[in-house]
Amino acid sequence: MLRIFYTSGLTLMIVAGLAAQPAFAETPNQILSSIQSEAKTVPGFQGFSAERGAIFFKTQHGKEFSCTSCHTENTAAQGKHASTGKAILPLAPSANAERFSDPAKVEKWFKRNCNDVVGRVCAAQEKGDVLTYLLTVKK
Amino acid sequence: MKRILIWDVPTRLFHWLLAISFAVAWLTSAKDQWLSVHTFFGYLMLGLIGFRLTWGVAGGHYARFTSFLYSPMTGLAYLRQILSGGGARYVGHNPAGSQAAYLLLALGLVVGVTGLFTQGGEEQHGAVAGMVSFTLGRMFKEAHEITAILMLLMVFGHLAGVAIESWLHKENLPLSMVTGMKDAPEDAPASKPYRLTGALMLVVVSAFGGWWFFYALHQPIEARLGYQVGGKDVPHVAFVGAKLPDNAQWREECGSCHMVFHPSLLPARSWQKMMAEQDKHFGTDLALDAAASKVLLAFMVNNAAEKSATEAALKINGSIKPDAFPLRITETQYWADKHRDIAESDWRLARVKSKTNCAACHLDAEAGTFEDAAMHIPR
Ligand code: HEC
Ligand code: HEC
Ligand code: HEC
Repeated sequence: MLRIFYTSGLTLMIVAGLAAQPAFAETPNQILSSIQSEAKTVPGFQGFSAERGAIFFKTQHGKEFSCTSCHTENTAAQGKHASTGKAILPLAPSANAERFSDPAKVEKWFKRNCNDVVGRVCAAQEKGDVLTYLLTVKK
Repeated sequence: MKRILIWDVPTRLFHWLLAISFAVAWLTSAKDQWLSVHTFFGYLMLGLIGFRLTWGVAGGHYARFTSFLYSPMTGLAYLRQILSGGGARYVGHNPAGSQAAYLLLALGLVVGVTGLFTQGGEEQHGAVAGMVSFTLGRMFKEAHEITAILMLLMVFGHLAGVAIESWLHKENLPLSMVTGMKDAPEDAPASKPYRLTGALMLVVVSAFGGWWFFYALHQPIEARLGYQVGGKDVPHVAFVGAKLPDNAQWREECGSCHMVFHPSLLPARSWQKMMAEQDKHFGTDLALDAAASKVLLAFMVNNAAEKSATEAALKINGSIKPDAFPLRITETQYWADKHRDIAESDWRLARVKSKTNCAACHLDAEAGTFEDAAMHIPR
């Protein structure tokens, strides 16, 4: 009898503990792997490259801004919004633990920022390259 | 004749503190930026008059109202005698001077109280914040300005009276308001000095001033420009008004690319249009999902300009034509009028750069209050 109480209490505590966890809290690597499963659906996928990501991040794509216009060349440092001047906290996960922890937020900003910089949504390949690059940036 | 104390210490302190308060309040009334100084001296004036009314019953011999209770008729008669070169010398207040004292006290009281209600109505802060409407506040402002002008005229009348008396009776009246001493007939009673009450007055006035200006001195204004320091720490501003409604999700979503523009700065129809066209938000796609859009829009509509009681909300909304849907605060007439006089070089300052960077000049911009006292061009 006591045992049943004990185990059911324990299960309850675990369930409550899981429920209290914010549903979205993930690590950058978890987010990277979900981008990867998306990228794998494209034929000819050969993995992500930090070099390609760095080039994508630092060059212009036919529009006024590049990613570095707001996030600067050094993504471990504070950035600045190119048109409003508002300070932007560092983008590299090594310098800002909150980055790439909320898939919805990551999606939202990829959508906005790719639209501003490339004029379309980014492909999973491009997003994966960028994140792979950002994960190599040391503080 | 003997030389005795006529004006006790508290009466002299009252006189000069009142004169300073009136002068400084008058001089700081022109610019919004000085409003906090102006209101400080307004409160001080009210406090001083309150003290003087008590002292008129409980104070030294010549400070008591009973020692200078003359009818306005007697005052006028005395004025006529003086102007024809006669008129007896009084040790305390003479009949004309006493009228000036009463009128100044009464006017000061009205100026102070109407000022209090102007601040409560127009700015929605101070001791009577929220007790009067904005429109009523404006009426109080009219009354405040008219009575202040009357008081200034009364001050000039009082100064002229003092000058004439001093010259007629060959004595330095301003000096005796400093030393308190005057020549008096043998049978005239001397006043007690009441030094302790005077010291107490000074302590109270300094404590009040210290408390009032503590914030302003405590943290240099430059250090309070929260915007450049990551925008996270809300600037600490003295003399803020009522706290406006806030919403964490709105602050997060609408405050990531620029400072948050409080909903009270535009009417509901503008926010509705902005959210309906969110894919073309000044060149970017906000890409907010339906659930988030709904929450944000509800917060913005419920706290839009027409639902808010701040001066900025009422005046911005009043300057927008009923059929207009401005998406920029910076395009409204009121905003344009208020910022017309700012020099071109100030807009180009490194800390300002953009007109939409309200927080560079308004320390409380993130809170949406846009208080006069929180205005500062970061030159
Ligand atoms: C016009 C300015 C601007 C440009 C250009 C820009 N970004 Fe951003 N980006 C921002 C802002 C602002 C944020 C939100 C910052 C915050 O939440 O503190 C952001 C956030 C992000 C995030 C969210 C990270 C997280 O988890 O919090 C990612 C990913 C991102 N940007 C990637 C990019 C990429 C890739 C590019 C180039 C294609 C780019 N950005 C270009 C302004 C910009
Ligand atoms: C992805 C970036 C981004 C986000 C997120 C964003 N804005 Fe903007 N917003 C801008 C840019 C860029 C401008 C133009 C700034 C300029 O001209 O200096 C602007 C301008 C504005 C203006 C006009 C300011 C003026 O008076 O000139 C308002 C109002 C505004 N935004 C409200 C909002 C609201 C409300 C939200 C949240 C629903 C929001 N913004 C979210 C980028 C953004
Ligand atoms: C370059 C500095 C600067 C910037 C940037 C700026 N303002 Fe102002 N603002 C001022 C000054 C100075 C005054 C006072 C003008 C006066 O009293 O005549 C003022 C006055 C105001 C007032 C009237 C306050 C009152 O009670 O009289 C409002 C409201 C206001 N600004 C809103 C804004 C908003 C909203 C923004 C951003 C969209 C903004 N300001 C950006 C400098 C600035």
